[in-house]
Amino acid sequence: MRPKTMAAILLVALPLGTWAAQPETVKKAKTIDELAGMFDSGSCKQCHAEIFAQWEKSHHARPLMGVADGLMMIPVVRSSAFQVKEPKEATVAKTFPCFKCHLPQAVTQAEDSVAVELAEALFIASDKDKPDKDKAAAKAKVAKLQITCIVCHNEKAILHRRVLGEPEKGVLYGSKDIPAHGDKIFTKVKKSVVMKESVYCGQCHGTGPNYEYDYPFQCATLYASYQNNYLAKGGFHSCQQCHMGKVDGKANHLFPPNWNDKEATSALLSKSISLDVQTLGYQWLRKAGQLTPIIVVNTKISHRAGHRIPDG
Amino acid sequence: MTARSADGKEIFREERNYHPQATNCLNEKMVYGAQNKVTYVRDTSLQPYESKDETFEIKLPEGVRAADVTLELNYELHNPDYKIPIHKVTRKVSLDR
Repeated sequence: MRPKTMAAILLVALPLGTWAAQPETVKKAKTIDELAGMFDSGSCKQCHAEIFAQWEKSHHARPLMGVADGLMMIPVVRSSAFQVKEPKEATVAKTFPCFKCHLPQAVTQAEDSVAVELAEALFIASDKDKPDKDKAAAKAKVAKLQITCIVCHNEKAILHRRVLGEPEKGVLYGSKDIPAHGDKIFTKVKKSVVMKESVYCGQCHGTGPNYEYDYPFQCATLYASYQNNYLAKGGFHSCQQCHMGKVDGKANHLFPPNWNDKEATSALLSKSISLDVQTLGYQWLRKAGQLTPIIVVNTKISHRAGHRIPDG
Repeated sequence: MTARSADGKEIFREERNYHPQATNCLNEKMVYGAQNKVTYVRDTSLQPYESKDETFEIKLPEGVRAADVTLELNYELHNPDYKIPIHKVTRKVSLDR
């Protein structure tokens, strides 16, 4: 049996964001601040402080930033097939296909003006002639765009939409039903069918080239590796079992590894990946009278992960 | 993997790289960055339930009968300078019994 890996949603006293307060015809965000506000999950912290603190350190909290204080989106607008000459050319669909996973809420709920603002920020952050304070401000703007609690616990929580319908307004999805959730907007928690399943993570930690775009870029292929090289060889663990193991009884929302934390990641990797070394020194005889002093080193690397290493 | 003789001189250095390798499929050049990758052309990564077995043969220079062998397994992220150490093994290997 798989242990329960998702945290129970507890009562929340304060309202979450403003997204669910929108009327049925959702008004799209025109600015980064508006989009960030619509999906702001800051109030979750009031009742879920530990989980929120884990998430804040996770890559889900900085999906457009990259590792080691970098800004991985700069090459997208500056030098890739999706580049723009000027920020004003940027659109959600054409310039930022990365939003599909790195900021899914933007795909459906952001105007192109958000793409323009993001491109402007990325241009400023990468302009060597701009003052440091301007670059820092631009970077801070990009950092506002996050995969928040609402994104996973509502926006991406239902896969079988044809039969189960769209995620409901005012409802969060978690590991169990909570008829009365203390938030003013998200007043109810419903059990998600897929949230404990690997296929849920596979929505973004993908399967291969994104053929639906006019330049079929290939980002994460983790879920394909999991399906074809782990399950196929007899593995049964889910993504959540390894990457959301319980901490103090609740699913870890750090989703380790946190690549910015070298020490913790080193410890995690050394636990998961083994290196066996065997050595031999002797004299090798090619033909009579021609001994060659030689050292032979045999290595064997194996691991316990449910996917190829590396992947994403 | 490196090997040094007793006087500290490097007598052997070799590395292996384990990762999926992609191009944009418009030319033969490997690329990094999800925005550039279109297809994998080769995959040397560490696969589940499989081991990567390597043999390194170090022919010793004349007069050398021992070496300090060092193996480092690192995870390199976004560039070779951002290394996360996984294992480091050192062995003194001698021909003398």
